[in-house]
Amino acid sequence: MKKLVFPLFLSIFLFGCNEEEKTIEVNNASGEEVEEVTTVIENKDEIYSGRAIFVEDQLLVAVQAKPWLDYKKTKIEKDLKEQLNERFPNYEITVSADYKLYWEAQKLLTEEATEKVKEKVEKLKKLSKEET
Amino acid sequence: MNQQEYEKIEQQVTPPTPYISNLLKAFFVGGLICAIGHAITYFYIIFFDFTEKTVGNPTVATAIFIAMLLTGFGLYKKLGQFAGAGSAVPVSGFGNAVISAAIEHRSEGFVLGVGGNMFKLAGSVILFGVASAFVVSLIKLILVTMGVIEW
Repeated sequence: MKKLVFPLFLSIFLFGCNEEEKTIEVNNASGEEVEEVTTVIENKDEIYSGRAIFVEDQLLVAVQAKPWLDYKKTKIEKDLKEQLNERFPNYEITVSADYKLYWEAQKLLTEEATEKVKEKVEKLKKLSKEET
Repeated sequence: MNQQEYEKIEQQVTPPTPYISNLLKAFFVGGLICAIGHAITYFYIIFFDFTEKTVGNPTVATAIFIAMLLTGFGLYKKLGQFAGAGSAVPVSGFGNAVISAAIEHRSEGFVLGVGGNMFKLAGSVILFGVASAFVVSLIKLILVTMGVIEW
């Protein structure tokens, strides 16, 4: 039993080390915008996954920070928002590193009806501002 | 036999405290409780309208509710004997401290018994939490007003 403890520990700890590819998903928008938002997220080292939703004049970007950098979340959000604001001055941008928004964004990626997406994005914006 | 001799004999007879196994038990049971807590967190985020910022309250409430059930059925006592601090440090240990005191003094009546003794163990924790939160937020308010940090 005691001999087993060390390899077990090692395997658990090393599970965290396998670097995965950055996944960036964007919903149906014109090619140029998709490319631009992808490069912005790609260049941010603290992020391991991101989802962007374009709907009318709204842009929702939900990202997940790397586990060890989770405490820097507000800074990452702020930086990303500044960078996106420069590139997309015509959009009203919402950036969040919250898991709730990341989860809901996944559902919006495949949603076709613009009206529904817009409604959901508005709701998520409101949710992300909630404090208590 | 003088005092020193007695102490010598006493130390020979007392079995050694199994520090390592106690530590491991506390580590794994405490970690397991926290993992369950995290599962509850994700449950609330995915199925209800809670964000990472707001999900703390329902999670803590649920953890205390589960601890209440376990205490009532006498199961938390066994867990506490096995894991020690591993079961006392998470918020479920706090719930156990409140509820076991309430159960113990039930025979003395609801007001003087349950009401008067419920917070005997955990009341100091609540008081300390509220008081220290006040002081910390005061310090933060001063720092924000001075422009050192942001909210």
